[in-house]
Amino acid sequence: MITQQELESILADPSKRIEGEIFWNHDKDHSPALEFRVHLLSDPGWPIIVVGRCNPCAGTLSYALIHKGAGRIYALDLGADHHNPSCHRVGEKHKHRWSEAFRDKEAYVPGDISAPWNQPLAVWKEFCRKAAITHHGLMHSPVAQGDLPL
Amino acid sequence: MNPAEICARLQQAHLPAFECGPAPIEGVRVRTPLMYPDGGIIDVFVVPRAGRLEVTDFGEALGWLRLQSSSGQLSPRQKRLLEDVCLTLGVELFRGQILKRVQEEELHHAVLQVAQAALRVSDLWFTMRTRAVESVADEVADWLEERRIPFERNVSLAGRSGRSWTIDFQTRLPERTSLVFVLATGSSSAARRVTEHVVASLYDLNHLRVVQRDLAFVSLFDDTEDVWKEEDFRLVEDLSIPARWSRPDEFERILQAA
Repeated sequence: MITQQELESILADPSKRIEGEIFWNHDKDHSPALEFRVHLLSDPGWPIIVVGRCNPCAGTLSYALIHKGAGRIYALDLGADHHNPSCHRVGEKHKHRWSEAFRDKEAYVPGDISAPWNQPLAVWKEFCRKAAITHHGLMHSPVAQGDLPL
Repeated sequence: MNPAEICARLQQAHLPAFECGPAPIEGVRVRTPLMYPDGGIIDVFVVPRAGRLEVTDFGEALGWLRLQSSSGQLSPRQKRLLEDVCLTLGVELFRGQILKRVQEEELHHAVLQVAQAALRVSDLWFTMRTRAVESVADEVADWLEERRIPFERNVSLAGRSGRSWTIDFQTRLPERTSLVFVLATGSSSAARRVTEHVVASLYDLNHLRVVQRDLAFVSLFDDTEDVWKEEDFRLVEDLSIPARWSRPDEFERILQAA
Protein backbone atom coordinates (compact mmCIF):
# COMPACT_ATOMS: atom_id res chain seq x y z
CA MET A 1 0.00 0.00 0.00
CA ILE A 2 1.10 3.56 -0.57
CA THR A 3 0.23 6.84 1.08
CA GLN A 4 -1.27 9.96 -0.45
CA GLN A 5 2.06 11.70 0.00
CA GLU A 6 3.86 8.94 -1.88
CA LEU A 7 1.35 9.13 -4.72
CA GLU A 8 1.80 12.89 -5.01
CA SER A 9 5.58 12.39 -5.07
CA ILE A 10 5.29 9.76 -7.79
CA LEU A 11 3.06 11.86 -10.02
CA ALA A 12 5.14 15.00 -9.55
CA ASP A 13 8.48 13.25 -10.13
CA PRO A 14 9.82 14.59 -13.44
CA SER A 15 12.43 11.82 -13.73
CA LYS A 16 9.78 9.27 -14.77
CA ARG A 17 10.71 7.95 -18.17
CA ILE A 18 10.26 5.11 -20.64
CA GLU A 19 13.24 4.09 -22.76
CA GLY A 20 12.80 2.51 -26.16
CA GLU A 21 10.09 1.67 -28.61
CA ILE A 22 6.67 0.51 -27.55
CA PHE A 23 5.07 -2.30 -29.52
CA TRP A 24 1.50 -3.42 -29.04
CA ASN A 25 0.89 -7.16 -28.95
CA HIS A 26 -2.16 -9.34 -28.68
CA ASP A 27 -2.89 -10.08 -25.05
CA LYS A 28 -2.01 -13.47 -23.60
CA ASP A 29 -5.39 -14.92 -24.51
CA HIS A 30 -5.30 -13.55 -28.07
CA SER A 31 -8.53 -11.63 -27.54
CA PRO A 32 -9.35 -8.79 -29.98
CA ALA A 33 -7.48 -6.39 -27.66
CA LEU A 34 -3.85 -5.30 -27.98
CA GLU A 35 -1.66 -4.52 -25.00
CA PHE A 36 1.78 -3.38 -23.96
CA ARG A 37 3.59 -3.43 -20.63
CA VAL A 38 6.73 -1.41 -20.05
CA HIS A 39 8.76 -0.58 -16.97
CA LEU A 40 8.60 3.00 -15.82
CA LEU A 41 12.12 4.14 -14.99
CA SER A 42 12.75 6.89 -12.46
CA ASP A 43 15.58 8.19 -10.29
CA PRO A 44 13.89 7.06 -7.03
CA GLY A 45 13.15 3.64 -8.61
CA TRP A 46 9.37 3.65 -8.13
CA PRO A 47 8.13 0.05 -8.64
CA ILE A 48 5.74 0.92 -11.43
CA ILE A 49 4.89 -0.45 -14.85
CA VAL A 50 2.86 1.26 -17.55
CA VAL A 51 0.16 -0.75 -19.26
CA GLY A 52 -1.71 0.12 -22.43
CA ARG A 53 -4.75 -1.69 -23.76
CA CYS A 54 -6.71 -1.00 -26.92
CA ASN A 55 -9.75 -3.01 -27.99
CA PRO A 56 -11.00 -1.89 -31.42
CA CYS A 57 -14.03 -4.21 -31.27
CA ALA A 58 -15.20 -2.72 -27.97
CA GLY A 59 -14.05 0.79 -28.83
CA THR A 60 -11.93 1.20 -25.71
CA LEU A 61 -8.46 2.51 -24.94
CA SER A 62 -6.73 2.57 -21.54
CA TYR A 63 -3.35 3.66 -20.24
CA ALA A 64 -2.51 2.89 -16.61
CA LEU A 65 0.31 3.19 -14.09
CA ILE A 66 0.41 0.03 -11.99
CA HIS A 67 2.27 0.19 -8.68
CA LYS A 68 3.54 -3.26 -7.66
CA GLY A 69 2.33 -2.83 -4.10
CA ALA A 70 -0.85 -0.82 -4.56
CA GLY A 71 -2.15 -1.78 -7.99
CA ARG A 72 -3.54 0.84 -10.38
CA ILE A 73 -2.69 4.34 -9.16
CA TYR A 74 -3.26 6.52 -12.22
CA ALA A 75 -5.15 5.66 -15.38
CA LEU A 76 -7.03 6.98 -18.34
CA ASP A 77 -10.03 5.13 -19.79
CA LEU A 78 -11.70 6.04 -23.06
CA GLY A 79 -14.78 4.39 -24.54
CA ALA A 80 -16.21 2.86 -21.36
CA ASP A 81 -18.37 4.61 -18.78
CA HIS A 82 -17.69 4.78 -15.04
CA HIS A 83 -19.86 5.04 -11.95
CA ASN A 84 -18.39 6.97 -9.01
CA PRO A 85 -19.00 6.13 -5.32
CA SER A 86 -20.89 9.43 -5.11
CA CYS A 87 -23.41 7.82 -7.47
CA HIS A 88 -22.99 9.65 -10.71
CA ARG A 89 -21.73 8.51 -14.06
CA VAL A 90 -18.60 10.18 -15.30
CA GLY A 91 -18.78 9.37 -18.99
CA GLU A 92 -16.67 7.61 -21.58
CA LYS A 93 -13.61 9.79 -21.05
CA HIS A 94 -12.32 9.58 -17.51
CA LYS A 95 -9.21 9.31 -15.39
CA HIS A 96 -8.56 7.47 -12.17
CA ARG A 97 -6.18 8.94 -9.61
CA TRP A 98 -5.52 6.86 -6.49
CA SER A 99 -6.52 8.42 -3.16
CA GLU A 100 -6.42 7.16 0.41
CA ALA A 101 -10.19 7.54 0.68
CA PHE A 102 -11.30 5.82 -2.53
CA ARG A 103 -8.15 4.12 -3.84
CA ASP A 104 -8.78 3.93 -7.64
CA LYS A 105 -12.59 3.88 -7.51
CA GLU A 106 -13.20 7.57 -8.10
CA ALA A 107 -12.89 8.96 -11.60
CA TYR A 108 -13.07 12.45 -13.05
CA VAL A 109 -13.31 13.99 -16.49
CA PRO A 110 -9.84 15.13 -17.53
CA GLY A 111 -9.44 18.44 -19.27
CA ASP A 112 -6.08 17.48 -20.70
CA ILE A 113 -7.21 14.70 -23.05
CA SER A 114 -8.69 15.82 -26.36
CA ALA A 115 -7.90 12.91 -28.71
CA PRO A 116 -10.48 10.11 -29.02
CA TRP A 117 -9.96 6.42 -28.28
CA ASN A 118 -9.22 5.58 -31.93
CA GLN A 119 -6.14 7.85 -31.96
CA PRO A 120 -4.00 5.98 -29.44
CA LEU A 121 -0.73 7.72 -30.32
CA ALA A 122 -2.20 11.20 -29.83
CA VAL A 123 -3.82 10.08 -26.57
CA TRP A 124 -0.48 8.62 -25.42
CA LYS A 125 1.26 11.95 -25.88
CA GLU A 126 -1.41 13.75 -23.88
CA PHE A 127 -1.36 11.08 -21.17
CA CYS A 128 2.42 11.24 -20.79
CA ARG A 129 2.46 15.04 -20.71
CA LYS A 130 0.03 15.24 -17.78
CA ALA A 131 1.60 12.29 -15.93
CA ALA A 132 5.09 13.85 -16.25
CA ILE A 133 6.42 10.84 -18.15
CA THR A 134 9.08 11.30 -20.80
CA HIS A 135 9.06 8.67 -23.52
CA HIS A 136 12.46 8.39 -25.22
CA GLY A 137 11.33 6.34 -28.16
CA LEU A 138 8.56 5.65 -30.56
CA MET A 139 5.15 4.17 -29.91
CA HIS A 140 3.99 2.04 -32.80
CA SER A 141 0.35 2.05 -33.80
CA PRO A 142 -1.62 -0.82 -32.21
CA VAL A 143 -3.35 -1.62 -35.49
CA ALA A 144 -3.25 -0.38 -39.03
CA GLN A 145 -5.34 2.77 -39.22
CA GLY A 146 -7.68 1.02 -41.64
CA ASP A 147 -8.61 -1.37 -38.83
CA LEU A 148 -9.80 1.42 -36.56
CA PRO A 149 -13.24 2.89 -37.12
CA LEU A 150 -12.33 6.51 -37.83
CA MET B 1 -30.68 -9.18 -37.72
CA ASN B 2 -29.36 -5.69 -38.13
CA PRO B 3 -28.31 -3.55 -35.12
CA ALA B 4 -31.67 -1.76 -34.97
CA GLU B 5 -33.54 -5.08 -34.86
CA ILE B 6 -31.23 -6.40 -32.13
CA CYS B 7 -31.86 -3.31 -30.01
CA ALA B 8 -35.61 -3.56 -30.61
CA ARG B 9 -35.57 -7.20 -29.55
CA LEU B 10 -33.81 -6.29 -26.29
CA GLN B 11 -36.26 -3.48 -25.59
CA GLN B 12 -39.13 -5.91 -26.03
CA ALA B 13 -37.54 -8.07 -23.34
CA HIS B 14 -38.03 -5.24 -20.82
CA LEU B 15 -34.42 -4.62 -19.91
CA PRO B 16 -34.92 -0.88 -19.30
CA ALA B 17 -31.60 -0.23 -17.58
CA PHE B 18 -29.70 -1.68 -20.53
CA GLU B 19 -28.71 0.91 -23.13
CA CYS B 20 -28.29 -0.30 -26.67
CA GLY B 21 -26.30 1.34 -29.47
CA PRO B 22 -24.02 0.50 -32.39
CA ALA B 23 -20.62 -1.08 -31.61
CA PRO B 24 -17.52 0.47 -33.22
CA ILE B 25 -16.89 -2.24 -35.81
CA GLU B 26 -19.83 -4.64 -35.92
CA GLY B 27 -22.98 -5.50 -34.02
CA VAL B 28 -24.36 -3.58 -31.08
CA ARG B 29 -23.02 -2.55 -27.70
CA VAL B 30 -25.28 -3.14 -24.71
CA ARG B 31 -24.37 -0.94 -21.76
CA THR B 32 -25.52 -2.77 -18.63
CA PRO B 33 -26.22 -1.39 -15.16
CA LEU B 34 -23.59 -3.80 -13.75
CA MET B 35 -20.17 -2.58 -12.63
CA TYR B 36 -16.59 -3.79 -12.39
CA PRO B 37 -15.17 -3.63 -8.84
CA ASP B 38 -13.76 -0.14 -9.47
CA GLY B 39 -17.10 1.25 -10.69
CA GLY B 40 -16.44 0.79 -14.41
CA ILE B 41 -19.62 0.00 -16.33
CA ILE B 42 -19.83 -3.44 -17.93
CA ASP B 43 -20.64 -3.47 -21.65
CA VAL B 44 -21.50 -6.58 -23.65
CA PHE B 45 -21.78 -6.88 -27.40
CA VAL B 46 -24.17 -8.70 -29.73
CA VAL B 47 -22.88 -9.72 -33.14
CA PRO B 48 -24.88 -11.62 -35.80
CA ARG B 49 -22.88 -14.64 -37.00
CA ALA B 50 -24.01 -17.40 -39.37
CA GLY B 51 -27.72 -16.99 -38.72
CA ARG B 52 -27.32 -16.86 -34.95
CA LEU B 53 -26.37 -14.17 -32.46
CA GLU B 54 -23.12 -14.16 -30.56
CA VAL B 55 -23.11 -12.33 -27.23
CA THR B 56 -19.58 -11.48 -26.08
CA ASP B 57 -17.60 -9.11 -23.92
CA PHE B 58 -14.80 -8.99 -26.55
CA GLY B 59 -12.33 -9.88 -23.77
CA GLU B 60 -13.02 -6.77 -21.72
CA ALA B 61 -13.58 -8.50 -18.35
CA LEU B 62 -10.28 -10.39 -18.38
CA GLY B 63 -8.63 -7.32 -19.87
CA TRP B 64 -9.94 -5.20 -17.03
CA LEU B 65 -8.54 -7.73 -14.58
CA ARG B 66 -5.17 -7.69 -16.30
CA LEU B 67 -5.04 -3.92 -16.06
CA GLN B 68 -5.18 -4.08 -12.27
CA SER B 69 -1.90 -5.90 -11.62
CA SER B 70 1.71 -5.50 -12.58
CA SER B 71 2.09 -9.10 -13.75
CA GLY B 72 -1.12 -9.23 -15.77
CA GLN B 73 -1.33 -12.96 -15.00
CA LEU B 74 -3.87 -15.05 -13.20
CA SER B 75 -2.80 -17.50 -10.51
CA PRO B 76 -3.73 -21.18 -10.86
CA ARG B 77 -6.45 -20.68 -8.27
CA GLN B 78 -7.90 -17.71 -10.12
CA LYS B 79 -7.91 -19.76 -13.33
CA ARG B 80 -9.90 -22.48 -11.59
CA LEU B 81 -12.38 -19.90 -10.28
CA LEU B 82 -12.70 -18.51 -13.79
CA GLU B 83 -13.57 -21.95 -15.19
CA ASP B 84 -16.12 -22.38 -12.41
CA VAL B 85 -17.81 -19.06 -13.25
CA CYS B 86 -18.17 -20.08 -16.90
CA LEU B 87 -19.48 -23.53 -15.97
CA THR B 88 -22.13 -22.09 -13.64
CA LEU B 89 -23.42 -19.56 -16.15
CA GLY B 90 -23.17 -21.79 -19.21
CA VAL B 91 -20.92 -19.42 -21.11
CA GLU B 92 -17.84 -20.22 -23.14
CA LEU B 93 -14.39 -18.75 -22.63
CA PHE B 94 -12.63 -18.49 -25.97
CA ARG B 95 -9.44 -16.50 -26.47
CA GLY B 96 -10.10 -14.47 -23.35
CA GLN B 97 -13.64 -13.61 -24.42
CA ILE B 98 -16.80 -14.60 -22.60
CA LEU B 99 -19.15 -15.92 -25.28
CA LYS B 100 -22.60 -17.33 -25.75
CA ARG B 101 -24.20 -18.24 -29.09
CA VAL B 102 -28.00 -18.09 -29.15
CA GLN B 103 -31.07 -17.88 -31.30
CA GLU B 104 -32.94 -14.59 -31.45
CA GLU B 105 -35.53 -15.67 -28.87
CA GLU B 106 -32.88 -16.33 -26.20
CA LEU B 107 -31.02 -13.08 -26.72
CA HIS B 108 -31.99 -11.28 -23.52
CA HIS B 109 -31.08 -14.32 -21.38
CA ALA B 110 -27.68 -14.52 -23.05
CA VAL B 111 -27.04 -10.80 -22.51
CA LEU B 112 -27.74 -11.23 -18.81
CA GLN B 113 -25.60 -14.36 -18.54
CA VAL B 114 -22.58 -12.85 -20.31
CA ALA B 115 -22.88 -9.64 -18.27
CA GLN B 116 -23.11 -11.63 -15.05
CA ALA B 117 -20.11 -13.73 -16.07
CA ALA B 118 -18.13 -10.54 -16.76
CA LEU B 119 -19.09 -9.28 -13.32
CA ARG B 120 -18.01 -12.48 -11.59
CA VAL B 121 -14.77 -12.74 -13.58
CA SER B 122 -13.85 -9.18 -12.65
CA ASP B 123 -14.61 -10.00 -9.01
CA LEU B 124 -11.49 -12.19 -9.07
CA TRP B 125 -9.88 -8.80 -8.39
CA PHE B 126 -10.80 -9.34 -4.75
CA THR B 127 -8.36 -12.25 -4.63
CA MET B 128 -5.45 -10.21 -5.99
CA ARG B 129 -2.62 -9.73 -3.58
CA THR B 130 -2.35 -5.98 -4.06
CA ARG B 131 -5.73 -5.83 -2.36
CA ALA B 132 -4.09 -7.25 0.78
CA VAL B 133 -6.54 -10.12 0.84
CA GLU B 134 -4.36 -13.15 0.33
CA SER B 135 -0.70 -14.11 0.03
CA VAL B 136 0.69 -16.66 -2.39
CA ALA B 137 1.31 -18.97 0.58
CA ASP B 138 -2.44 -18.84 1.30
CA GLU B 139 -3.07 -19.84 -2.31
CA VAL B 140 -0.61 -22.73 -2.03
CA ALA B 141 -2.29 -23.89 1.20
CA ASP B 142 -5.72 -23.83 -0.51
CA TRP B 143 -4.32 -25.74 -3.46
CA LEU B 144 -2.72 -28.43 -1.23
CA GLU B 145 -6.05 -28.88 0.55
CA GLU B 146 -7.89 -29.21 -2.75
CA ARG B 147 -5.41 -31.83 -3.95
CA ARG B 148 -5.67 -33.60 -0.58
CA ILE B 149 -1.97 -33.41 0.01
CA PRO B 150 -1.35 -33.52 3.77
CA PHE B 151 0.80 -30.64 4.94
CA GLU B 152 1.98 -28.57 7.86
CA ARG B 153 2.52 -24.86 7.49
CA ASN B 154 5.37 -22.71 8.87
CA VAL B 155 7.42 -25.62 10.13
CA SER B 156 10.42 -24.66 12.24
CA LEU B 157 13.59 -26.76 11.90
CA ALA B 158 17.10 -26.32 13.29
CA GLY B 159 19.99 -26.07 10.87
CA ARG B 160 23.41 -27.53 11.54
CA SER B 161 24.62 -24.03 12.40
CA GLY B 162 22.14 -23.99 15.26
CA ARG B 163 19.96 -21.38 13.60
CA SER B 164 16.24 -22.08 13.41
CA TRP B 165 14.60 -21.82 9.98
CA THR B 166 10.90 -21.51 9.14
CA ILE B 167 9.86 -23.56 6.12
CA ASP B 168 6.59 -22.57 4.45
CA PHE B 169 5.23 -26.10 4.00
CA GLN B 170 6.09 -29.66 4.91
CA THR B 171 4.07 -32.07 2.78
CA ARG B 172 3.75 -35.78 3.49
CA LEU B 173 2.77 -38.23 0.79
CA PRO B 174 3.35 -42.00 0.71
CA GLU B 175 6.11 -41.47 -1.85
CA ARG B 176 8.07 -38.74 -0.11
CA THR B 177 8.12 -35.89 2.36
CA SER B 178 8.94 -32.45 0.98
CA LEU B 179 10.02 -29.21 2.54
CA VAL B 180 8.63 -26.43 0.35
CA PHE B 181 10.18 -22.97 0.39
CA VAL B 182 7.92 -20.37 -1.23
CA LEU B 183 9.82 -17.59 -2.98
CA ALA B 184 7.50 -14.60 -3.45
CA THR B 185 8.02 -10.89 -3.78
CA GLY B 186 6.60 -8.11 -5.90
CA SER B 187 9.91 -6.32 -6.22
CA SER B 188 12.75 -7.16 -8.61
CA SER B 189 15.24 -5.57 -6.27
CA ALA B 190 14.12 -7.82 -3.39
CA ALA B 191 14.01 -11.00 -5.49
CA ARG B 192 17.72 -11.81 -5.19
CA ARG B 193 17.68 -11.30 -1.42
CA VAL B 194 14.76 -13.72 -1.12
CA THR B 195 16.64 -16.31 -3.21
CA GLU B 196 19.81 -15.93 -1.17
CA HIS B 197 17.86 -16.37 2.06
CA VAL B 198 16.38 -19.62 0.75
CA VAL B 199 19.80 -20.84 -0.43
CA ALA B 200 21.19 -20.21 3.05
CA SER B 201 18.36 -22.18 4.65
CA LEU B 202 18.70 -25.04 2.13
CA TYR B 203 22.41 -25.29 2.84
CA ASP B 204 21.98 -25.18 6.60
CA LEU B 205 19.23 -27.82 6.56
CA ASN B 206 20.94 -30.08 4.04
CA HIS B 207 22.05 -32.53 6.74
CA LEU B 208 18.41 -33.65 7.14
CA ARG B 209 18.56 -35.41 3.80
CA VAL B 210 21.43 -37.58 4.99
CA VAL B 211 19.22 -39.22 7.58
CA GLN B 212 15.93 -38.97 5.64
CA ARG B 213 16.55 -40.41 2.20
CA ASP B 214 12.96 -39.74 1.07
CA LEU B 215 13.07 -36.06 2.00
CA ALA B 216 12.97 -33.54 -0.85
CA PHE B 217 13.64 -29.81 -0.78
CA VAL B 218 11.44 -27.84 -3.18
CA SER B 219 11.87 -24.15 -4.04
CA LEU B 220 8.51 -22.88 -5.28
CA PHE B 221 8.83 -19.61 -7.21
CA ASP B 222 5.79 -17.34 -7.45
CA ASP B 223 6.38 -16.59 -11.12
CA THR B 224 3.01 -14.85 -11.49
CA GLU B 225 5.20 -11.84 -10.66
CA ASP B 226 7.80 -11.17 -13.34
CA VAL B 227 10.66 -10.53 -10.93
CA TRP B 228 12.82 -13.66 -11.16
CA LYS B 229 15.94 -14.07 -13.26
CA GLU B 230 17.43 -17.33 -14.55
CA GLU B 231 20.23 -16.95 -11.97
CA ASP B 232 17.66 -17.21 -9.17
CA PHE B 233 16.59 -20.63 -10.44
CA ARG B 234 20.22 -21.71 -10.88
CA LEU B 235 21.11 -20.60 -7.35
CA VAL B 236 18.64 -23.03 -5.77
CA GLU B 237 18.80 -25.94 -8.20
CA ASP B 238 21.85 -27.67 -6.72
CA LEU B 239 20.24 -27.78 -3.30
CA SER B 240 16.56 -28.18 -4.16
CA ILE B 241 14.07 -28.89 -6.94
CA PRO B 242 12.85 -25.61 -8.48
CA ALA B 243 9.12 -25.39 -9.18
CA ARG B 244 6.92 -22.65 -10.64
CA TRP B 245 3.58 -21.67 -9.14
CA SER B 246 2.25 -21.00 -12.64
CA ARG B 247 2.63 -24.75 -13.30
CA PRO B 248 0.84 -26.45 -10.41
CA ASP B 249 0.68 -29.82 -12.18
CA GLU B 250 4.48 -29.95 -12.36
CA PHE B 251 4.65 -28.94 -8.71
CA GLU B 252 2.29 -31.77 -7.82
CA ARG B 253 4.43 -34.28 -9.74
CA ILE B 254 7.49 -33.12 -7.83
CA LEU B 255 5.72 -33.64 -4.50
CA GLN B 256 4.56 -37.11 -5.57
CA ALA B 257 7.80 -38.34 -7.10
CA ALA B 258 9.26 -41.37 -5.39
